[in-house]
Amino acid sequence: MSPPPAGAVEHVTCLGCGCACDDITVVVQRGRVAEAQRACALGAAWFGDGRVPDEIRIRGRAGTLERAIAEAAKLLSDAERPLVYLAGDVSCEVQRDAVAIADRLRGAIDSLAGTAAPGLLAAQRRGRAGATLGELRQRADLVVFWGVDPGARYPRYGARYAVDPVGLAAPGGRKSRRVIAVDVGDARGPADADGRVTIPAAAELDALGVMRATVQGRFIRTDAPLGEVVALVHDMTRARYVALVADAEPGPTPSDPDRAEALIALAQALNGPTRCALSTLRGGGNRSGADAVLTWQTGFPFAVDFGRGYPTYRPHAGAAERLAVRDVDAALVIGAPATLPAAVAEGLAGIATVAIGPRASTAAWKPVVAVDTGVAGIHEGGTAFRMDDVPLPLRPALEGADVRSAAATVRGLRERLEGDA
Amino acid sequence: MTTPSRLRITGGTVYDPAHGVDGVVREVCIEGGRIVAELPAGAPRLDVRGMVVMPGGVDIHAHVAGSSVNHARRLLPEEHTADPVPAPRLADGLPPRSGTGGTVPSTFATGYRYAGLGYTTAMEAAVAPLAARQAHAELDDTPLIDAGFFVLLGNDDYLLRQIAAGETARARDYAAWLLGVTRAYAIKIVNPGGVALWKGGGGTRNVSGLDDAVGSSAVTPRKILETLAGAANALALPHPVHIHCNNLGQAGNVATTLESMRALSGQRAHFTHLQFHSYGGERGKGWKSGARDVIEYVNGHPELSVDVGQVMFGPATTVTADGPVEHLLYASSGRKWVNVDTELETGCGIVPYTYREKAAVAALQWAVGLELFLLAKDPWRVVLSTDHPNGGTFLSYPELIRLLMDRAYRDERLKGVNQKLLAGSALLDGLTREYTLGEIAIVTRAGPARLLGLSHKGHLAPGADADVTVYAPDADRAKMFAAARYVIKAGAIVVEEGQLRRAPAGARLAVHPDYDTAVTKDVKRFFDDYATVAFENYGAER
Repeated sequence: MSPPPAGAVEHVTCLGCGCACDDITVVVQRGRVAEAQRACALGAAWFGDGRVPDEIRIRGRAGTLERAIAEAAKLLSDAERPLVYLAGDVSCEVQRDAVAIADRLRGAIDSLAGTAAPGLLAAQRRGRAGATLGELRQRADLVVFWGVDPGARYPRYGARYAVDPVGLAAPGGRKSRRVIAVDVGDARGPADADGRVTIPAAAELDALGVMRATVQGRFIRTDAPLGEVVALVHDMTRARYVALVADAEPGPTPSDPDRAEALIALAQALNGPTRCALSTLRGGGNRSGADAVLTWQTGFPFAVDFGRGYPTYRPHAGAAERLAVRDVDAALVIGAPATLPAAVAEGLAGIATVAIGPRASTAAWKPVVAVDTGVAGIHEGGTAFRMDDVPLPLRPALEGADVRSAAATVRGLRERLEGDA
Repeated sequence: MTTPSRLRITGGTVYDPAHGVDGVVREVCIEGGRIVAELPAGAPRLDVRGMVVMPGGVDIHAHVAGSSVNHARRLLPEEHTADPVPAPRLADGLPPRSGTGGTVPSTFATGYRYAGLGYTTAMEAAVAPLAARQAHAELDDTPLIDAGFFVLLGNDDYLLRQIAAGETARARDYAAWLLGVTRAYAIKIVNPGGVALWKGGGGTRNVSGLDDAVGSSAVTPRKILETLAGAANALALPHPVHIHCNNLGQAGNVATTLESMRALSGQRAHFTHLQFHSYGGERGKGWKSGARDVIEYVNGHPELSVDVGQVMFGPATTVTADGPVEHLLYASSGRKWVNVDTELETGCGIVPYTYREKAAVAALQWAVGLELFLLAKDPWRVVLSTDHPNGGTFLSYPELIRLLMDRAYRDERLKGVNQKLLAGSALLDGLTREYTLGEIAIVTRAGPARLLGLSHKGHLAPGADADVTVYAPDADRAKMFAAARYVIKAGAIVVEEGQLRRAPAGARLAVHPDYDTAVTKDVKRFFDDYATVAFENYGAER
């Protein structure tokens, strides 16, 4: 293999969170990531020094790639109810091959999207009023953070997209915008907001309902405890373009399953008196790419079952639910095990699994076959999706380093399975 | 049979209108993926005695790939559940894939179904440049059709700034750069200026006519049309600018449509889904057909071409970059609605919809489309389309062909539709025209291939791509065109005895016009100031 590149790689896309900032300069020294310039703390941790383990383990012992692929193919072909799981840190190109494998196996396939299922399902019932993040930057003059401070899990969201930057219709950047924090129970908005509204967690759905009714002119009293939100929604209707920002990923306290739909309904209703886009925050690792790929190949964004020889949608019987009731007898996990939700990782411990991806050999659930690969965006290229479904190229700073390619490994498994006709 | 590299298709009645062949029994010879003049005597034969042979179908305007289409797919799980597509049993080649159908099928199903109809080329009609990479990935997963896409321009802030500054040459260079960097095939304009106003969020959320100001008074829909039509023609693109006019779907929009055509007088231009732009009457007061005025104008102007965008009764999904139109449809229909404003470029709106025979406006739309077809004088410039999946899906093309070819059937169907708004429609005057097989071959393959500048497609002369479709004749033309007996794609027999047997990848159709590269410095500066994607990461270059 060729030696790893020295120097710096510019315009690198970071997959540390769903912001997918593509302005990172990765400085490489002696085959390691020395610095990820402009990355936030989350991003710096995601790049790390670029070192990943390089092992192939078959039943706990070192093995060759050829044998690992053969064992993996046999394990998966022999299964009656195989599951393919798309974890984080793989490219769309790998995800496309993974769906082909699930189709071939007549297995189920799911992804990290399961954690954001309420929002996806609500958007399938109602649609949604949205925008790409750059449009919020250009247009929004009022930004309402609904029970979320992006600083914690999406550190550069404010700096790059909705709050600070200069936009066509926001020439003063931060000064051209009002920022309102809506604190919903413990889920607090940003501390440096221009205004703040507080709602008890139990009153969240009522608040959203009252706001929507007010927009539609169907309301209503303005007395406590919802007077503040009525005032807020009046502000929203007077704005030119409202960005309503909410977290689609689960927080420390579970949110009401109907919240996502109520937020969509409010954002849609505001498109009448004014313009409004709901921005739902999603985590990193190219999870949004998995939604997109599954949708174009199967018609469904997650929780797909090929058991009947064609895709069926089982949004309430995704990977976690199937594993919990042992409706899976073998699994192929593609991506970084560290990104798995706890419920999925626990369920995998009880069945035979194949893991292909970054640090697969370190998976706590002890895969029968584990093949370590590089990380999409650090060691290998391809495409990844930002949280708003904007596709971005990956620029691996350590491509050519002595790291196995996830794309080639998964393609090898696919071809092996397709050869076993 | 396996696919031989040579094939002699014998005994069929050939329709090759590009060469004046109108139903003549003759051989079609294929070698190495191309049509050839002759083959050695022992070459493998495909006997299609009694059948009809045409070039492979060419869809000039459909929404089959890219971010808007995928947002629509995601919105329609109930349709996908109701229309499963098991993997076909293929003879050899790439392993088959399963999928789902509905009005917006999954990618593999899209390719399989097009091939089943005898179509071998399709143009995705609206791709936001920001998501070009996704459109290419989806087309890579759409087998059997050679495909390209039209890239959206005309509401993008960089272009509007150049128009405001009178920088026509720079606007042209920018368009050329964008075509190349996104690997697109042609320039698409959707509701010029209107989408920009919708996104701007001010008091005015759309344009109402060609001379409305869009931000600057120097920027109007007319200026946008002139600038981009001029750019496409100056760059000598194979397909001229592809225009979705202002005021789509509005009563009385015929005035806007005619004014748009006049604005580009003497220049090549393609006006798409013309049916949606051919309504008389007055907004808020009533509708009537405006088809006659529009098609007469088209008939008299050989520099113009159109596709019809026929409405077919049944389920559809409206998906367009025309955000304000979809908001209106959402408000009036109460159906679910997706809106995605796309940074610095365009919009996207989606509303699932059903056209019902008993609904007055849907019946008018149906009639207007048929009037356009039946009053058109030059089939070479009037292409068959349903603006898939907006007016109906591409699977309804066979039914549309029957309506065009079978007057008795058409008249019978006409009796069953709501008549309320049909007064003044030429259809009620008893249009007697019936399309011939030769004319169908023009409006479904020879014409669109020529209008797209695809010199290797849409005909059967030596050198053409070996994309050939064989249909078994049937008095019921819908049945005949619904399932091709044989389809040959780039020389491979992909449909045999009506069964899909092979699903090779299609080719990508793209242009790379020359331009003054100085423009990229200025575009990069604009990106650095405003975009959230690095200039270097934009587009879809390999």
